[in-house]
Amino acid sequence: MLKDILTKRKKDFAGGVHTELRAQINKTRGVSLLSGSLTTNVRSEVSGVSARVYKNGVCGFSSTAEYDDEAVTAVLSAATDNAVFMDKRAGKKSPPLPDVEAGRTVREFSDNDPVQKEYIEFAGALDAYIEKNCPGLSGRGVSVRADSMEKILCVSQGHDAHVILPRCYVYLRLTADTPAGVPVELFVPVGGKGTFDTVFSDPALLYPQVDALYEKLMQKREGVYPTAGEKTCIISGELTGMLAHEAVGHTVEADLVLGGSVAAHNLGKTVASPLVTMVDFAHTCLGEPTPLPIFADDEGTPAKDAVLIRDGVLTGYMNSRQTAQHFDMEPTGNARAYLFSDEPLIRMRNTAIVPGTSKLEDMIASVEDGYYFIDTNNGQADTTGEFMFGVCMGYEIKNGKLGKALLDTTISGVAFDMLKTVDMVGDTISWSSSGFCGKKQPMPVGLGGPAIRCKITVGGR
Amino acid sequence: MIELDKISGNVIEKLQAAGADKAYCTAATSVTREFNVDGGAFSLMRTLFDNSLSLTGIVGGKKGSVGINRFDDGAVTQAVADCVASASSSEPDSAWDLAPDGETRSFTQGVLEADTDRLFDRTEELMEQIGKKYPKIMVEQLIVSHVRSHSVYRNTNGAFYTKDAGYYNVELMFSAHEGETASSFFGTGVITDNLDRPFMELGSIEKDLADVEKQIHTKLVDGKFTGVMLLPPGCLGSFLGDIADNFASDGPVLEGTSIWKDKLGKQVADPRITISFAPGNQEIVCGQSYTTEGFLAQDFDFIREGQLESFLIGLYVSNKTGVPRAKNDGGSMVMRPGDRSLEEIISSIEKGILVGRFSGGQPSTNGDFSGVAKNSFLIENGKVTHAVSETMISGNLADMLQNVVAISRERVTDGSSVLPYAAFAGITVSGK
Repeated sequence: MLKDILTKRKKDFAGGVHTELRAQINKTRGVSLLSGSLTTNVRSEVSGVSARVYKNGVCGFSSTAEYDDEAVTAVLSAATDNAVFMDKRAGKKSPPLPDVEAGRTVREFSDNDPVQKEYIEFAGALDAYIEKNCPGLSGRGVSVRADSMEKILCVSQGHDAHVILPRCYVYLRLTADTPAGVPVELFVPVGGKGTFDTVFSDPALLYPQVDALYEKLMQKREGVYPTAGEKTCIISGELTGMLAHEAVGHTVEADLVLGGSVAAHNLGKTVASPLVTMVDFAHTCLGEPTPLPIFADDEGTPAKDAVLIRDGVLTGYMNSRQTAQHFDMEPTGNARAYLFSDEPLIRMRNTAIVPGTSKLEDMIASVEDGYYFIDTNNGQADTTGEFMFGVCMGYEIKNGKLGKALLDTTISGVAFDMLKTVDMVGDTISWSSSGFCGKKQPMPVGLGGPAIRCKITVGGR
Repeated sequence: MIELDKISGNVIEKLQAAGADKAYCTAATSVTREFNVDGGAFSLMRTLFDNSLSLTGIVGGKKGSVGINRFDDGAVTQAVADCVASASSSEPDSAWDLAPDGETRSFTQGVLEADTDRLFDRTEELMEQIGKKYPKIMVEQLIVSHVRSHSVYRNTNGAFYTKDAGYYNVELMFSAHEGETASSFFGTGVITDNLDRPFMELGSIEKDLADVEKQIHTKLVDGKFTGVMLLPPGCLGSFLGDIADNFASDGPVLEGTSIWKDKLGKQVADPRITISFAPGNQEIVCGQSYTTEGFLAQDFDFIREGQLESFLIGLYVSNKTGVPRAKNDGGSMVMRPGDRSLEEIISSIEKGILVGRFSGGQPSTNGDFSGVAKNSFLIENGKVTHAVSETMISGNLADMLQNVVAISRERVTDGSSVLPYAAFAGITVSGK
């Protein structure tokens, strides 16, 4: 665990500027078995200290891999020098940042760090189960990955903090050939927040997930390509979460709004069906902890929910302290940094469309000729809101009933157009949090939503 | 001055003392100086001092790896213990190995000293030129940096490599706007070892800015057709990277799922296609000098005149499968130019699409791909007619290489690749 040598250094912060001083350690443990061969067996730790100084609308930043008094002095000095250089060459004469609530955030956490043997044996047990119980595969992959980031933050004004965010996942991949000899695969992540020993106690508890994945893969082997074109479809909560994050969330990050995203012209306007409400949750959603709870960000802003769309109307952006000042909004704690050597950027936390009242079975029964898209293996979107998601599992819907499984396809559309077609919203939220969002730096994020009924463009073959 | 040769030597000794039969490690320091422009205005200057120490031990055929960014004795001792414990917990696999015959070599590449003021000036100049020549462009983010690194590699077979490298990096994200109408965003960039020329003149930066300004107003493609896909160098690089990953990389070769698994030495592409991985190419900035396993990196042909010459696999997969290893770890892609100008190629296309960026799902194992054509133009009767939106393209990566229409004489170098334009037939293009 990191020792706090930062708090005593507040006396060294320069006057007339805003300073953030942050010590951080990121740990990663990884094991991968590829068709039985252990191809990855690695542990890594990256740590250090950084300082950021805000002066007249521009910033200076510096970091070093050391973590002692001398290193703190060095990064404070270099960050100040850089801020002075930027102010001289490109200063904006901006007013000081408005104050946020002051205080201190400390979260209780487990610091357990199981040895590599435990990861290897867990992955090995799952691999052996797959090999024994899933005949006819042409390939299989089992990976276990745990990562955590621990931070100590001291700021000129705001919340100081000492927090840790650990998470751990098992990734299962199964590959089989279709009768025509074409390889198809399915993949599922299982896990969540916490250290390996708190998330996973027994590999046998995951065997049902293996069985379910195998059953879906066998259906997919016999699958058909969907017909291309716009269709009324049900998309699962996993896909709704992807839509919320990729196609809407990024466009309402205030730095991308300033960079020209579609949300710049839509604040206060109707961008979705009245059934759609979307929130970037900080740490609690519907009374339950979010997958990756954030209590204070790396600028010292205490974290609150950011309501982005309320009843179909675009109501807000996600902000840093600087962009909140620009847009005259309240900062909600979205400025986060991935490594000690990264500056805080506006990032999503746990972004979700809020559940409605419909039952999934009623939603499926309401579709005469369409598709139920369930799992995605990737997604991309534009600052215009145009999106494309790969769909790796789904079913036909014919006369309100599920039909044949689908082979890989894509769905696409323009978010603020597509969301206006939503006419049913499921009553259960599904979260996923196993991946990284990419935006200069990677960042663990949670994304979620209920199943929704909408019109969407299907790629077909 | 941190003595990386001593640190790396100490690590190897400790790994051997702890039971490693074979081991390798890399110790490195780096300094990064960086300017950021956000939303069209300068926002940040960063100076980063970092260390890295990666170590791998093979104990009785069992392999473990650890990475840290500290060099103090306590951290190194703990890392060695973790590495050996991880390896010991693994299963033995005789395929893990190192380059057999090590030697001592040193490498110096690029520009080691950063000219920070000049770097700022070039950045300011680029912003001014964009404002004057391409007023509809909005810069979402511009990151320019100089990265200097000093590294030492050692292994237990006698390899001892030292390397000093430095380069400037430019990454530009932007879109074009007219009122409330906007193009898709686009990213471009270069790596360079000097600041002699304005950034606007490097790579495809100016061409990309000009193209995106023409993509504000788009039309939907009417219906569906099968036609020619013309790829500019940047997008071609993405497709070729997918081809390499899908058919020739460690995973599909090890699992035997590659559709090219029996194609070594056989024709997999049109004879006009020759693709190399060439870190030694003169237009590549700071290319790889040695591989993870301790081999000196050499240029090699991936596909020569249509024939598959090498898979892109490391020593482990090579030992597992009996297929020869690649002579470097990848990157630095160079493709042989064709014999026609870009203008001639466009004028020969009756119906097709110029795809500036492909936003697609992971291609299937068999090479099927589909996705959205972003930053793209329709080509009709030999002319680029208009920008398109909400347009899907689909095809097969392996078939593409067999269906080459033409490859351009012109090539673009961005410091990490040297690629021409290339046109491929048989691509399905469908509108909304």
